[in-house]
Amino acid sequence: MIPLIGLLSGIVLGIVLEPSIPQALQPYLPIAIVAAMDALFGAFRAYLEGTFTDRVFVVSFISNVLIAAAIVYVGDQIGVGSQLATGVVVVLGIRIFTNAAAIRRALFHA
Amino acid sequence: MDLLNQIIRQPVDPDYALAAERGNDPSRGRWTLGVVAMVIGALFAVAALQTTRAAPALQSERAELISRVQAAEREQDELRGRVTSLTQEIATLRTAALGDDDAARGVESQINTLDPVVGNVAVTGPGVLIVVDDSPSAAADARDRVLDIDLQVLANGLWEAGAEAISINGHRLSGLTAIRSAGDAITVDYRSLTRPYRVEAIGDVRTLQARFVESSAGAWWNDLAQNRQMRYEISDVKQLDLAADPGIVLRHARRAAS
Repeated sequence: MIPLIGLLSGIVLGIVLEPSIPQALQPYLPIAIVAAMDALFGAFRAYLEGTFTDRVFVVSFISNVLIAAAIVYVGDQIGVGSQLATGVVVVLGIRIFTNAAAIRRALFHA
Repeated sequence: MDLLNQIIRQPVDPDYALAAERGNDPSRGRWTLGVVAMVIGALFAVAALQTTRAAPALQSERAELISRVQAAEREQDELRGRVTSLTQEIATLRTAALGDDDAARGVESQINTLDPVVGNVAVTGPGVLIVVDDSPSAAADARDRVLDIDLQVLANGLWEAGAEAISINGHRLSGLTAIRSAGDAITVDYRSLTRPYRVEAIGDVRTLQARFVESSAGAWWNDLAQNRQMRYEISDVKQLDLAADPGIVLRHARRAAS
């Protein structure tokens, strides 16, 4: 319940406050969101399997977002930023789909 | 492939299982979970807001560019109009300067014969109209589109068949006209054309069409029409009005030896 309330209040806060992201960080926002989605789906699957732990979720979320952003940042510095961003999205996308399929199986037994 | 397999086999952070085995206090860190969820929600909202904000900015940039192109084209039209009026002025001045003796009349008649041929004056007369266009499947295959070389061949074929004046989509061709492609469009005199392409040629209607069809250009276009299904319609027209080519300017003038 707490995470759901947090998520909704975060969306409302984001829309109401409209915090402006610094120009330098803007390219990393979409990648951070994909990493966040990956962490969310992983957490939900762990929750359904009964192994969910807050601490692991928080740590995995933060480290995922930071590593994804760092990979893209390093890529930008050496001129392969968009390719590495594609790589990150592909890998995280595979994980998201696999987790979503597992969640679907656990929820609907289908 | 090993890496991908591993990603698919182990999509959940293995730490969840480890932590669950160790067993830890579930009441601890509830609020951090809430905070992280809030951060994720804010991330979504901010990214969505930014993307929707950026869209109108891109749109207005595009509109701005389009209006600039249109303004430049209007200016070009104006300048061309001025060229035409100045050319007329030159013609008037030339007539005045030539005077009225025999030599002058000879020069005058020479000018009158050459002017229509080089495209310096507007001409009217019977001729043929050729309408060509990309084939219906052009979107799928770039080879089904009319290229600049196709129009070049067409124009050259018409000259060869005895055309005295040619214009493409209202742009009169002269010896200095360039037909070439720029990006996706074909340009004549650096003005881009819109499909379909209407090629008008003034000449002897009794022979022009027949001679064109027999020429290598006719064969070229027959091939395009049959093998690439391009539109290729050729018809005789009683009267065609072709404007002068505004691209022709007076480059060299000298006082007549008198």
